[in-house]
Amino acid sequence: MKRHPFLLIAATVVATLASVHSMGCGASRSARSLAAEKVYVAPGELDKYYAFLSGGQSGSVFVVGVPSGRLIREIPVFEPRAAYGYAMNDNDPRRQELVATGGVWGDTHHPILSETNGMPDGKYLWINDLANGRLARIRLDYFEADRILKLPNMQGAHGIAVVSPNTKYIVVNGEFELPTDGLVTNPAPYTSVVSFVDPDSMQVKFQVRVNGNIDIADTSKDGRYSFSTVYNLEQGKDMGSMIQYDRDAVAAIDIPAAEKAIAVGRGEVRNGVPILDPESNPGVLTLIPVPKNPHGINVTPDGRYAIAAGKLSPTVTIIDAHTLKIIAEPEVGLGPLHTTFDDRGNAYTSLFLDSQVVKWNIDKAVKGAPDYIVDRINVHYNIGHLQAVGGDHMHPAGDYLIALNKLSKDMYVPVGPDLPENQEIIDISGEKMKLLASFPTPPEPHDATFMAVSVLKPLVHQTYTPADDAVQAGKERVVRTAPHAVTVDMTLIRSAYTPDKLEVREGDQVTLKITNVETIRDMIHGFALPDHNLNIALAPGYTKTITFDAGKPGVYWFYCTNFCSALHLEMRGRMLVQPKDSTVTLTDWHAAANVQGQVVAGVPSTGAR
Amino acid sequence: MKVRLLYAAAAALVAAALAFPLWGFAMAAPQYPDETLHLQVTRAGIVGDVQEVSTLQHFIGVRFPTELPELTWATAAIVALAGLLLLGALIGGGAVGRVYRVLCAAALVTFLVASAAVVQTRLYQVGHDRDPNAPLRSMRNFTPPLIGPAKVGNFTVWSFPHAGALMLLVAAGLAVYGVRLQPDSSGKAAA
Repeated sequence: MKRHPFLLIAATVVATLASVHSMGCGASRSARSLAAEKVYVAPGELDKYYAFLSGGQSGSVFVVGVPSGRLIREIPVFEPRAAYGYAMNDNDPRRQELVATGGVWGDTHHPILSETNGMPDGKYLWINDLANGRLARIRLDYFEADRILKLPNMQGAHGIAVVSPNTKYIVVNGEFELPTDGLVTNPAPYTSVVSFVDPDSMQVKFQVRVNGNIDIADTSKDGRYSFSTVYNLEQGKDMGSMIQYDRDAVAAIDIPAAEKAIAVGRGEVRNGVPILDPESNPGVLTLIPVPKNPHGINVTPDGRYAIAAGKLSPTVTIIDAHTLKIIAEPEVGLGPLHTTFDDRGNAYTSLFLDSQVVKWNIDKAVKGAPDYIVDRINVHYNIGHLQAVGGDHMHPAGDYLIALNKLSKDMYVPVGPDLPENQEIIDISGEKMKLLASFPTPPEPHDATFMAVSVLKPLVHQTYTPADDAVQAGKERVVRTAPHAVTVDMTLIRSAYTPDKLEVREGDQVTLKITNVETIRDMIHGFALPDHNLNIALAPGYTKTITFDAGKPGVYWFYCTNFCSALHLEMRGRMLVQPKDSTVTLTDWHAAANVQGQVVAGVPSTGAR
Repeated sequence: MKVRLLYAAAAALVAAALAFPLWGFAMAAPQYPDETLHLQVTRAGIVGDVQEVSTLQHFIGVRFPTELPELTWATAAIVALAGLLLLGALIGGGAVGRVYRVLCAAALVTFLVASAAVVQTRLYQVGHDRDPNAPLRSMRNFTPPLIGPAKVGNFTVWSFPHAGALMLLVAAGLAVYGVRLQPDSSGKAAA
């Protein structure tokens, strides 16, 4: 039987199209289901790791489950957040700190964890605010910011690192250089400082002056050195003059030597902080020359090498972390920015321009073996930081890596011109890297760090222990404390405000102390008083004190913003504001109980100690 | 001799029972994973997740019993029973002793039966004497059993004797067994 050639061609085309279709665009069906299995966390099951991602210009920290990639929580830090009742009132200490130190917004870049013996201990997480030169500390028992520090003598706080292995200091790099005396008339070249912050008191213990812009930080695993990449050794003040030199530097600060110099008074005190000038204190600062305008600096988990990424050079510079000598400078690809590590002697470097992660073997690169590149994988797109689980600590897990990409382009359904950020989860357990999944976030994670759920989960509280000055059920009151001041002690529990009626007078300053007296987890209540621009939320056991002006005469409803119970919608109350000249006698709620009432002006308080 | 030891043990158990919760309740619901609510009835009153349970009860109009006068009576009765049993351990093996111990065992059993009746009555009241203006409308009256589960709204409520009640039960068992062990007038143990 003779076949028609046209039919044969048509059949071949159809068969080819069908097979291409069944393969999908990227991965085959079996590869897809294998990847899905690696990141699937069934409802009710828990992730293996907490990933902490900086929120960038959101001013916060995102908590993501790994391997699922589920966004579990946002921890507001430098920006008020009504939904969490964070920094929403002038009386809130975090808001006071924010206002006093720069503003109610921030640009967070690098989350770092407190360490014991080189491993995260679940006590604190620090996060920088590049924009306003600040450092915040987050308590991991409550997942809430508890201190915000403005770093003196510097503008822009960029790279931060914990001094391993036991969190002796937090290293904070000042990125934007300034006149040494702070005077605008000083014609001398600008300089910057590296700050060493005490983790417990959150005080800057000392600073070391460095010429140029100080970028990313890490520390040696034995507590001897801090390493910072430095660009613009030229001390130029515009872009053209910042990229003249062929080489910039990694600044290695000998911490014990700096401590000794400070102890004998070698620091010049400015704004209460002693600053060491390396020129008059030899031995404190070593500048290690690396290709110009480097970016990331990462110390290997075994503490042997510090690896500086070339950024404008396609190389990484491998520095001996003990002798500070350059060991090798292998090529890895275009735009190397940051490096992380597995538990098998491999490094993973992000390539911003290639939009790739390159996996390379450290020993082979050090020995100059030609086959040090192990694998490359495409990421989408323009990767910045990357972090493998535990790669920033002494015992990496070697299982997952997160790529934090700057652009998402076509990765998600179109949502207008402002696109989400794209993170990708990569399986690094085998020889070849495998892209498992991606997840979007609001703007804009820069860096990430991880903690094992098995370590952190037992340390996390889910309700607050009521503070000593918390309002107790049955002790609620409304008291006039001055001719134009009213103090209210209020409790919240399903499904009522007590008291649910406040009577005040036009011109009154109202101080409202609220305690959520629930004892069961996840029973959060809100207090919104819309016409007074007030909206806060309180987790069980939490107490907050807010102050506001009573405003114009009228009836003002306040209501619960956090869905709590079958009577959630009915959970509301009124503030009645009488005219200034009203002859109506205001009813004091619990009047009899108020006769003895001695009200001390409270500050917002929690059970967190 | 053995009888006296049994009665001494029974007396000790009855006295010790006062230090433990008498009755227990466990309440489980889907939205309380790993956090089943517990209430215990002790001689001092109801303890445990009292705030949470009373918060929930208000939705279905159950009146949380804040005062339980019968606990005062029960405490007095338990102390008295411990005393009676102790005397039963000390008293001689003659006819007077035999009769006394029979009465003792009977008193203890009667107390337990009466207490069970009181608890069941309370449970009935909890399920029936409800606020007619309760927010939730769909709830029917209910009677949790003395021992076992009952479905109350979205909760499964388990009611069970706690350590104290179990100790009283064991003491009653010892007392009854002791009566059967008592030598009769011929000096042989009863059949």
